[in-house]
Amino acid sequence: MAILAPSMFLADVELSNYLPIVVIVLMAITFGIINVGVSMLLGPRRKGKVKGVTYESGMNPVGTARKRFNVRFYLIAVVFLVFDVEIIFLYPWASTFAHLTPQSEESLLWLGRIMFFLLTTVVAYLYGWRKGVFKFD
Amino acid sequence: MTMQSMHDKILELWPELVLFAGTCVVMVMGLSPKLAVRRMCAPVAGAALAVAGVLAALTTPEGRGLLPGLMPFAKVVVSVVGLAMLLLLDGTVDRTEERLIASGQPFNPLRTNRAEFYAFFLFSLTGLMLCASANDLIWLFLALELTSLPTYIMVTISRGGKAGARSQEAGVKYFFLGAMGAATFLFGFALLYGATGTTNLQAMKEFFAHAGEGGGITDLAIAGMLMSLLGVAFKIAAVPMHLYTPDVYEGAAAPVSAFLAFTPKTAGFISMILLCSTMGWTHGAGHSLPDLVRLLLWVMAALTMTVGNVLAILQSNVKRMLAYSSVAHSGYMLVALVAGPGSGRGITDNGLAAILFYLLSYGLMNLGAFAVLACLERRPGPDGEYREIETVDDLRGLCKTQPALGWTMVVCALSLLGFPPLLGFFAKVPLFTSAIAAGEIVLVVILGVNAAIAAYYYLRLVAMPLLEEPDATLPPAARTPFVSRPLAAFISAASVVVLVAFAGTLMREAGEAAKPPKATGHSNAAK
Repeated sequence: MAILAPSMFLADVELSNYLPIVVIVLMAITFGIINVGVSMLLGPRRKGKVKGVTYESGMNPVGTARKRFNVRFYLIAVVFLVFDVEIIFLYPWASTFAHLTPQSEESLLWLGRIMFFLLTTVVAYLYGWRKGVFKFD
Repeated sequence: MTMQSMHDKILELWPELVLFAGTCVVMVMGLSPKLAVRRMCAPVAGAALAVAGVLAALTTPEGRGLLPGLMPFAKVVVSVVGLAMLLLLDGTVDRTEERLIASGQPFNPLRTNRAEFYAFFLFSLTGLMLCASANDLIWLFLALELTSLPTYIMVTISRGGKAGARSQEAGVKYFFLGAMGAATFLFGFALLYGATGTTNLQAMKEFFAHAGEGGGITDLAIAGMLMSLLGVAFKIAAVPMHLYTPDVYEGAAAPVSAFLAFTPKTAGFISMILLCSTMGWTHGAGHSLPDLVRLLLWVMAALTMTVGNVLAILQSNVKRMLAYSSVAHSGYMLVALVAGPGSGRGITDNGLAAILFYLLSYGLMNLGAFAVLACLERRPGPDGEYREIETVDDLRGLCKTQPALGWTMVVCALSLLGFPPLLGFFAKVPLFTSAIAAGEIVLVVILGVNAAIAAYYYLRLVAMPLLEEPDATLPPAARTPFVSRPLAAFISAASVVVLVAFAGTLMREAGEAAKPPKATGHSNAAK
């Protein structure tokens, strides 16, 4: 049972530890402002119809963006999220698993847990497949 | 907590694992284009629940944790009431869709909800069982949310056609208020962690026991406990977190309303018992809850009973009436929570046992009342759209038109009222005795007055079907085509009568469930 030492409470935290982060944030902001500011001051300005068009990787844009998208895009996005979150959970697991004694009961338990977790995503995938999420027609 | 005890913990989770496996199967089976396979959803869910119940009954509590006996008892109750609920839920979703498919439309998995409905039903009960085995704040939070999140969706998809808009409205209201409740108790949990430095409930109990010997429990911990209890009060629909209840119960289909009245309430009470037992109730030693926590529960109990009952009188819609009565019943159980486990020797003065027994009884009798509503429907319009029976007037003369359903309503309403030879009476007695034993005389008086107020509206549910003549101007209500719904109604009415014979046994079992762990001083259970 881990009782927190008093020094871990918020009031006792050394704020100066956060100085590097503050410096980086300040640098990022200044960098952005300088870039935009300098190109506003120095950059040449030519206005035209083509220049005002939305950039679509070189293609000429067609139609309007304010239309209804097929609901399948969102379904795919949701399925993607499932696997995305799964991978996020795999990282801390993998980094901890490396420190466990190989073949020990503890490591088997950890392995079993993550296999169970992976199994749940397989079920989610099966469900999505039966639901017709991957069917485009 | 050591790795070994975590290992043991997993071995105790077989009922949940079985339910989870059932969920996975149901989720995929419900999407089959074959009707026969789709129809198997409910039987598979039922089999999973039955197996989980048997496994839970076979589990022997090992004498660890805050309330070692709680787990098997609560899980068996969940699976028994869950099976009755399952019968009632038949035909709630996809009714229009199945009719269209039968008339030759191709099966479109994106338009059906059956797989999700039964999967979420099992998920919710899995969460409820996990609540009972919680030994950690994080576990408890996840279990509570696993109980509640599926119910939001079940409410939303529970009705089709024109009534679908109402169930969607109910679902959105339920979801947002539920999110607020969850945020409240999560904040409370965070404060408790901040105050004690542990999320383990057993370790927390020891921390508070030591703090009691020292300078007392800190304000931070008290604030955490108050917020946690207030947040969990949303689950049990206690004042001031009860506001969603009537709207949600009215908007959802009657079978889902019955489910809502049992599942989150049971999860909430189990969590409250676990939370409170970290801070007080060192059994037999005479520690009670800190004054502020006790005050909160006291005020909550008094207000919940009174507000629930008084507002129930004003309702003409049976579902709203039963919703407010569900609020009132939470108030009754809160009285026993204030009373606490008593000396721990007897069972009549053990408030926690009283709560557990009451949860079972309430689950069954309330199921019966909602089941009667779910069994009846009318087709008033030319569009062929059926409509649920909702107002008290719709029940007029039901004992003559549909005798079996009418008498079910009469028996269940009398039992909810606490009428002597029925289960509801034997469930209410321990609430009174435990509160008297704890010296909460004022609360007992309020409880008595409220039982009398409740008679007013429950007797309307008795008198309307029994004494009134059927309304000749309306087309008579027809029995629903789903045969298992009346079956659920009859089972719950029968159990309200039959279980009286086993009331003593059940109460003893509940007493065992609420028994404290064997005293080992400041035990070595938490490492």
